[in-house]
Amino acid sequence: MPKCTINGKEIEVKDGSTVIEAMHDQGIHVAHYCWHPGLSVAGVCRLCMVDIEGMPRVQIACNTTVTEGMKINNTSQKVKDAVKWGLDFHLINHPLDCPICDQAGECGLQDQYMEFGKYDPEMAEKKVKKHKVMDLGPTVVLDSERCILCSRCVRFTKEVSQSNELGIFNRGDHSEISTFDGQKLDNNYSLNTVDICPVGALTSKDFRFRQRAWYLKEGNSICNGCSTGCNIKTYFNKEGFFRVKPVYNKEVNGHWMCDDGRDLYKFVNRDHRYLKASHRQESGWSQILPGAAAKEVSTHVKAGGEELALVLTGQYTTEEYEKIIGIFTKDLKTKNIFHWVNNKESFEAFDNLLIRGDKNPNTKGLLQVFEKNQISKTWADLETSLKAGAIKTVVVAGPENLKFYKDLDAKVQLFSQAKKVIWLQTAKHPALEKLPINSWIIPMKSFVEKEGSFVNYKGLSQKMNKVTTIVSEALTLAEAAELMAGHQISIKPDTHILTDADRPLDQVMSEHRKKNEFVFKRGTV
Amino acid sequence: MSVVQRDGETRKWYLLGVLGGLWITGHHLIKNLFNRKQMITLNYPEEKYEYSPRFKGNHVLTVKKDGSLRCTACMLCATNCPAECIRIVASEHEDPSVEKFPISYEIDMLRCVFCGFCEEACPVDAIRLGPEWQVPGLCGDNFIYGIDRLAYRPQLKGGIQSFVDDEERHKAGI
Repeated sequence: MPKCTINGKEIEVKDGSTVIEAMHDQGIHVAHYCWHPGLSVAGVCRLCMVDIEGMPRVQIACNTTVTEGMKINNTSQKVKDAVKWGLDFHLINHPLDCPICDQAGECGLQDQYMEFGKYDPEMAEKKVKKHKVMDLGPTVVLDSERCILCSRCVRFTKEVSQSNELGIFNRGDHSEISTFDGQKLDNNYSLNTVDICPVGALTSKDFRFRQRAWYLKEGNSICNGCSTGCNIKTYFNKEGFFRVKPVYNKEVNGHWMCDDGRDLYKFVNRDHRYLKASHRQESGWSQILPGAAAKEVSTHVKAGGEELALVLTGQYTTEEYEKIIGIFTKDLKTKNIFHWVNNKESFEAFDNLLIRGDKNPNTKGLLQVFEKNQISKTWADLETSLKAGAIKTVVVAGPENLKFYKDLDAKVQLFSQAKKVIWLQTAKHPALEKLPINSWIIPMKSFVEKEGSFVNYKGLSQKMNKVTTIVSEALTLAEAAELMAGHQISIKPDTHILTDADRPLDQVMSEHRKKNEFVFKRGTV
Repeated sequence: MSVVQRDGETRKWYLLGVLGGLWITGHHLIKNLFNRKQMITLNYPEEKYEYSPRFKGNHVLTVKKDGSLRCTACMLCATNCPAECIRIVASEHEDPSVEKFPISYEIDMLRCVFCGFCEEACPVDAIRLGPEWQVPGLCGDNFIYGIDRLAYRPQLKGGIQSFVDDEERHKAGI
């Protein structure tokens, strides 16, 4: 455990850790492009310069190991000059087309430039023209001119996804990133290259030009795409959700997430959701408010007993399961609670990185609650009793993420054998229109609209907070259970009085950006 | 409203004020009768006052040489707008050298405060505030101007060309 001094502060670091790791752990800001905590060290951007006592020149922090008694400084004028000139070289062939670049607002070049930049370039030569808008694959677009050749994406495909599609071609200032001949950047993790790209060279086809980065708010949540339970950051504004990015969690997903998980924000948006509850009578479908619908069905559900069944999918939070199973077993006196498994045969599949075959975020949580309440009914029991007509009312907590529930039509037919079907559902699906007479579809809140916890494949319970509300009328599973059992639900008034401490922090966090008069004193020019 | 109550002798001298007023009116009447060319009053709406070209009136979206929109949909005008009256939907252009362009550009004229910040924010001289200022309309919908109205209204005779030219910039190697 060597001890070193960084900017006058003595700290102890792990054996073999580099200077940049030590600074990163201490929260000391150091300019860098090519270094990424999840990738190997390349040392090509020459920006993470530090001054080390006893060494005649500045050194790169990412490839210098900390030794005992090392005195490191990155605030000296010498370091600032080095970074300034490094940036000037990076910008020699950069087109500076920030107005049409998707990365603008969260770009490494912009950030470092505001802090260290040299505002008058001294380059008299013409810029080297390279390929623009190159289609790398189904998800990613490359703009070679913007690329600063940090090689993060190349190292990602080599080390993490191990698909080796990307490489650096040509020499000198004509070098550019591209895919190998005849290959496409097409793997399950390709969009991570967009995240780690410090400039706007790699952009996501899905997000491209849809919003500027500064129009989006962010909120952390847990991905509900599979049982891995990656920590995610969702980006949204009043028009809905626009993209999802991974959040570092050493225990679960590291720095990465898969491309399938990034599509999940789509079903959360209003266009794909049930906004009102629907009730199918003999005259056809009629629409009512979700709360009213849940109260209406309570007349059928309240009788309870052996004629009532509940079908649950592994896509709701543990708290909701506890509530609904508690109400069904205690108040409604039924043990007919079943677990709907979508793809039993591929449940244990794993691609050795993140993607798991169990496409439900909370199967473990559901099974834990089942065990606690001693529920042991199997799917075969449900099928036989539906056929025999022993079950007359079925409450189905349908899947949120319908992508992996391919047999929805067959399941709708199966449940239609009961006289009344109450289907609690988040995202729209055409199969549900075939539900029989005397059935209800009640809209549910999606995973970003509620608090709760998901238990992932290895039993790790992760708590998530509410991000925002998209469909305010929709119910959570717990609320629906209360209303169906004939209880009243009350919304607790928010007694919290807003103080100065609640005031949101300034959007522009870094000091050097606050100095920019165009941001804060507009109109004085 | 506050009313000034004057007490004392001066209250009785109102006639002096009336006569003073009549003198000014008569003076202008006679001056205008004999010198009609210098009369300030206009017979609006038949006669209209022309403001200087720097007047900040209705917006104009400029065009390129080929007549297509200069705007690159960077949304800096919408970001800078204090009245939040600009709404842009960007899309991908077929031409890779253009890359991004607006498929819809709407300004809500009733919300606009004509401050000119959009003009200042624009990096490519795509939006300007023009000298037109009369905006008649029958209902609120008429005041949400789209691309057709902002760039190609008949008064502009095919559009105003922008000062910023991509081709020249590319040739210069910028």
